[in-house]
Amino acid sequence: MGLLGFRWARSRILLRKFNRSLSLITQRPPYMYPSAATCSPSFSTGTFPQVSSDIMKIVEQRMVEIEHRSAYLLEQINQPAVTAADYSRSNKELRRLGSCMELIKELRSKRKDIDSLKSLISESSEDKEMRDMAVEEFYVAVEEEKRLQNLLLKSLLPKDDADEKDCILEVRAGTGGEEASLFAMDIFKMYEKYSQKKGWRFEVVDIMESDLKGYREASGSISGPGVYGKLKFESGIHRVQRIPVTEKSGRIHTSAVSVAILPQADEVDVHLRNEDLKIDTYRAGGCGGQSVNTTNSAVRITHIPTGMTVAIQDERSQHMNKAKALKVLRARLYEAERSRLQMSRSKLRMEQIGSGDRSERIRTYNFPQGRVTDHRVGITNHSIEGVMEGESLDVFIDALLLQEEMEAIATFTT
Amino acid sequence: MISRLPISTVHLRRAITIASFSPSTATQPYPPPLFLRPLTYSAAPSDLAAFRRWATARATVDGPRLESSDGGPGASQLLRELSWLLEDATSQSNGKILMRADLDELYRLWKERIEERKPFQYVVGCEHWRDLVLVVREGVLIPRPETEMLVDLVREVEGFSEGLWADLGTGSGALAVAIGRALEDKGRVFATDLSLDAVEVAGINVERYGLKDKVEIRHGSWFEPLKDVKGKLTGLVSNPPYIPSSDIPGLQAEVGRHEPKLALDGGMNGTDHLLHLCEESATALRPGGFFAFETNGNIQSELIANHMSTKWANCFHNVKTVLDFAGIKRFVTGFRR
Repeated sequence: MGLLGFRWARSRILLRKFNRSLSLITQRPPYMYPSAATCSPSFSTGTFPQVSSDIMKIVEQRMVEIEHRSAYLLEQINQPAVTAADYSRSNKELRRLGSCMELIKELRSKRKDIDSLKSLISESSEDKEMRDMAVEEFYVAVEEEKRLQNLLLKSLLPKDDADEKDCILEVRAGTGGEEASLFAMDIFKMYEKYSQKKGWRFEVVDIMESDLKGYREASGSISGPGVYGKLKFESGIHRVQRIPVTEKSGRIHTSAVSVAILPQADEVDVHLRNEDLKIDTYRAGGCGGQSVNTTNSAVRITHIPTGMTVAIQDERSQHMNKAKALKVLRARLYEAERSRLQMSRSKLRMEQIGSGDRSERIRTYNFPQGRVTDHRVGITNHSIEGVMEGESLDVFIDALLLQEEMEAIATFTT
Repeated sequence: MISRLPISTVHLRRAITIASFSPSTATQPYPPPLFLRPLTYSAAPSDLAAFRRWATARATVDGPRLESSDGGPGASQLLRELSWLLEDATSQSNGKILMRADLDELYRLWKERIEERKPFQYVVGCEHWRDLVLVVREGVLIPRPETEMLVDLVREVEGFSEGLWADLGTGSGALAVAIGRALEDKGRVFATDLSLDAVEVAGINVERYGLKDKVEIRHGSWFEPLKDVKGKLTGLVSNPPYIPSSDIPGLQAEVGRHEPKLALDGGMNGTDHLLHLCEESATALRPGGFFAFETNGNIQSELIANHMSTKWANCFHNVKTVLDFAGIKRFVTGFRR
């Protein structure tokens, strides 16, 4: 409980209760949405949680800072002598603060309403009907104030800019030989089905098959709003326990598959200079050009400063292979840069969920017992078929998002 | 279903009608490309699987032999082509397999590929090039991956999008269409070709991409049909025939036996047409106009670049050779003084 006061300790208890009840039922409980801690009504009272006074003090400070900053930026862009570069920079920041400013304005206006209602209540002590109406409106306004405070708190929490982006999925068979490759294929297809259910676009980028037609390595590109924010928790080692198809004596084997989720970077995030790229294509012996008819338009791009290499061969034109290779290269460079930045941040941030440590064992899929367990939030789902069909991943993802948010609140005050 | 085709082709599939594929002056009618035909056939999964197995076996067995004989496709390339053939010819919906050709034809097409060395692009009737899907057939040169870069070179020219451009020897219309798509209001492309087959196929591609008011195709030799824009061109591009005549018999069968010689033969040194273009460009381009030619590689590029910088030094400046992605000097570019 400590200094915070805010009912996140209660949320912890709720989370544990939720975990236990989830082990018994496979359906998602109605109220457990990612922002349950701050925005949706709680289980029992149906009202919004009160943000603690310690946290509100900090929120008030930030509100004033943001208001001042907004006013300053507005002044900047309205200067007659402003340069194009300054204008666009200030405008961009102004737009980023836009939604926050909206909430601040709404909150201030709501507080004014509450004050006027308070005076109305004390002034109308004789008029019972007027007083009752005012009291009723007062309670509604107070609830609304709480809701706005929660929303404002949420918008002030440290955000990952990458959450809105599309992502690249990379699946690699780890220990376990053929069986690992077969499970890698199952996992890859699981994400494909999950993506389709979410209405996201799933595109295969590359597949390296094993002897038994499993996937030694496979990568895909997933596009849609907020994809990375949802899938980022999937990075890590997924462990499988089952009887392999190749196993004659019916023994259970344990193998592992590593999953990496990379946010897709665009030109703004990772600017690739032509001088830094070495692009190679398949060279048929001799002069190439008109003398050759080939359908092999594989492209390999090497980023000279980092030595990173990407090769794509399965598109039907060289131009499309090159475009895909650049996309994957950008994503990998973006990810490398983000990891580097995270290493240099505080220890607390590094221990957070989604730090992307790919060697962390995050989930175990036990087929004989029909269950999947996520080790970070301690949740077990008893419908492994549902999980593999892409239906029940939200159970884990929502819990992980909730935990991430609670940790963000913790850092907010430090 | 995972889509591997560029999204832009999806709505274009419906735009064209079969009628536009009626024979021109050619003696035999050309069937429409596979990907544009309607899904009027179906096949049982087991039959399709049988075709797949047979075609895979043929590719695996014959591939290495074709590769070692004259640099033809190897097994892995043929297997990739097989998956694309099926992509163009079939469609899965609700567990049913629908087809744009019947199985007999698929067998026939694959046999033609392997035994007659018919180029894959002629077999399916199209070529994916840059971000386009171009209709191709016998009688036009299949656009090469190297040539994709010519469009990028054009786009680097300042003010290109409002200029008048020429694509000399347009063939399937690849360069004309790609440049046409990047132009703005005032921009135009004039595409010329001596071959009537090219005029017909280029016309189909220009229409498919909705560029009829931006790209004009003119029948004739090189600059002959461009007298009205002489001295006014912002720029011109060409991928002219540049293979030395004596090299043609030794080419891989897909090229030597099936693609039009008219589009390949560049005379004794391969430079006949390139030299002609060098000379005529001086009067065709406006002052400051840009040119970019594709050549047979290192030696030819150096020869042409040298030619432009010496014999025509008073007409052109900033003459450069540009490497393709295989590291070969593939293009010569420069500006009219």
